[in-house]
Amino acid sequence: MTQLYEAMVLVSNQVVREDWRKAKALVGDTLVKHGANVKALRRYEERRLAYPIAGNQRATYYLSYFEMPGENMPAFKRDFDLSEQVLRYLVQAVEVMPEDEPAKAALEDGTDYTVPEPPADDEPVIEEGVTEEEVDEDSDVDSDDEDSDEGKED
Amino acid sequence: MAKKERTVIGSTNCDDPIIDYKNIEYLEKFLTPQGQILSRRRTGFCAQCQKQLKKAIKNARHVALLPFTK
Repeated sequence: MTQLYEAMVLVSNQVVREDWRKAKALVGDTLVKHGANVKALRRYEERRLAYPIAGNQRATYYLSYFEMPGENMPAFKRDFDLSEQVLRYLVQAVEVMPEDEPAKAALEDGTDYTVPEPPADDEPVIEEGVTEEEVDEDSDVDSDDEDSDEGKED
Repeated sequence: MAKKERTVIGSTNCDDPIIDYKNIEYLEKFLTPQGQILSRRRTGFCAQCQKQLKKAIKNARHVALLPFTK
């Protein structure tokens, strides 16, 4: 039985610099290889990571919605686990796809659509001012926050 | 000694439909300056919405949209 999934995939900017369509195909081909019916796949954004992953300060996010039989999911995840170009991924089952996703994804398919080259990793960090807020840590913090919740598939 | 007033950040009747791990500007409102998740008492959410918030923040941390600690 197939289920609708949402996948967010972080791809190394080195791949995107070579060819952004190749980076997109890296995600799309892996999905198709495992029998996914891709509903939408698009470049979500290029941004500085909240913390470095494998020495990368920046990465490009790809967002995809697809249908796939649940039994194909372990093999699909293993492919992303073994890929050096995929820095991190998150797959979760969803009920519905946002209505505007196919239109956003279709925009990228045009031949004249290009994405700007990702900035270098050594771009200076612009730190936002931390607001001084008095917080009583004993009582105001969700005690569940200390859980390690690394299983990322629903 | 007078009890300290606490401001509730979230919606008290839980009608906010935008708890999503991609909505980081919204999620950041429910973090302390150190990056910890605020308690229900501060967020004002019901138990169900607080669980959704917790899940969304942890997913956002996993894909490096939010930091684990600042």
